[in-house]
Amino acid sequence: MNSLADYFHTDWAAMTTSDWVGTVLTVVIFLLMLVVYLYALRPKNRDRLEAQRFIPLDNEELNNGENNGG
Amino acid sequence: MVEATLEQKYNYSVVRWFTIMSAVYLVVGALVGVYIASELAWPILNFDSPYLSFGRLRPLHTNAVIFAFGGCILMATAFYTVQRTCGVRLWSNRMAWFTFWGWNLIIVSAVITLPLGLTQAKEYAELEWPIDIAIAVVWLSYMFNFIMTIVHRKSSHIYVSNWFFLGMMVMITYLHVVNSLAIPVSLFKSYSIFAGVQDAMIQWWWGHNAVGFYLTAGFLGIMYYFVPKQAGKPVFSYRLSVIHFWALMFGYVWLGAHHLQYTALPDWTGSLGAAVSMAMIIPSWGGAVNGMMTLSGAWDKLRTDYVLRFLIMSLAFYAMSVFEGPVMSLKTVNALSHYTDWTIGHVHSGALGWVGMVGIGAIYHLITKTYHIELWSTRLVNTHFWTATIGTLVYIVAMWVSGIMQGLMWRAYDEYGTLAYTFAESVEAMHPYYAMRAVGGAIFLAGAVMMLVNVVMTVLTANSQGSVQKARTAAATA
Repeated sequence: MNSLADYFHTDWAAMTTSDWVGTVLTVVIFLLMLVVYLYALRPKNRDRLEAQRFIPLDNEELNNGENNGG
Repeated sequence: MVEATLEQKYNYSVVRWFTIMSAVYLVVGALVGVYIASELAWPILNFDSPYLSFGRLRPLHTNAVIFAFGGCILMATAFYTVQRTCGVRLWSNRMAWFTFWGWNLIIVSAVITLPLGLTQAKEYAELEWPIDIAIAVVWLSYMFNFIMTIVHRKSSHIYVSNWFFLGMMVMITYLHVVNSLAIPVSLFKSYSIFAGVQDAMIQWWWGHNAVGFYLTAGFLGIMYYFVPKQAGKPVFSYRLSVIHFWALMFGYVWLGAHHLQYTALPDWTGSLGAAVSMAMIIPSWGGAVNGMMTLSGAWDKLRTDYVLRFLIMSLAFYAMSVFEGPVMSLKTVNALSHYTDWTIGHVHSGALGWVGMVGIGAIYHLITKTYHIELWSTRLVNTHFWTATIGTLVYIVAMWVSGIMQGLMWRAYDEYGTLAYTFAESVEAMHPYYAMRAVGGAIFLAGAVMMLVNVVMTVLTANSQGSVQKARTAAATA
């Protein structure tokens, strides 16, 4: 390995069906994870998500469950 | 009155028994651990008996602490928190008791078969095929009951601790079944369907994910409920917990290959495992900071709440372990650390410091909440905290020194290119550290015994005062 280009060199012609299935699945799941990150970090969703922090503390209430955002 | 209503509203019986058994199994598992650590320091303790040899008792130790202690506290906390955060009883009481008795029978079968030498010889998956099938059935009953309770919840949102528990349940099912695929040749003997390097890769795909999903994700489920609950404050950032969860779910499955650096496994696989391991430091530290910062503005609680101390100290060890692990996965460091006691030190920093302490915190919390009574002795909890912390530190420091010394001795050579030390010389040099490790483990064990005494005395006091019965009756008449 003399350079990063060598290190990341891929023989695309040698990819088997299993290789492609694994690669596509990995990339798709990775992109889905990024979507979740964007959703969680979007300022618009902040209050809605942070409101769920109180669920463990709310559950001493007798009618707990009904108040957990539901 | 609130306690009474909660007692009637939720199913606490199975939670109580899982909690008690986890306290019992921690003592048993740690006791076997101290014994085998002593065998390494003083081999005469083998007594020339195959049933007491290190090779047979070591898997008994790991199974007892991981699956008996860890499994029981995971089941207790998952069954407790899913009810409390969803506002409904467990979906099936009978299935919960099936899980309890099934899991405990599996533990008993491990106690019988492992000292007899009946093993698949797969690390953390030693039990033979009939027991593997039983594990799958009981684990599925645990998962199904948990999922159905969530399905019937009263809240629209599923709290993050349930996500962590669910991630663990789904992934452990998948990992256990694939890793245990074997061809039986008799009732107690089977051979893995995988061979050679594939077998090694599957083994460590399971091995590291047992750490990642069972001992990390599952116990993070405990952390995300019990730290806010014990502190009386909401978790620092819910959004960070969401990111923590998805990063762990995506990242952990890649790491197993870092256990097989410099082996027949393709070089790139180990590099990938190490690269993702390094990347995992970020979300893991995010989770640790999230747990610790929950105490922001209320740090004084640590002076008086000894249970909270366990939970917060566990996060310090979690942060340390998830930094140390990726560093050890790097090829340069791995060349020194692999096959040495440094690995044992790393494992126990996670096992005693993180898993042990967060589990212990949950046990104390659950005993008071489900028996509707204060702990028998809070002073004993304080003493337990210090014995657990000091015992863990003595253990891991001994293994760090021993491991690095081992690695350096094995690679040292003279001007002629000859190895400077024989293997026996390196073993001899380890003796003081092996003795120190046994002492550290014994200190931790003493703390576990204190907890068991405290738990038993609390339960006996609750029984004599009839606190559970009073709560049930009050609820019935309310």
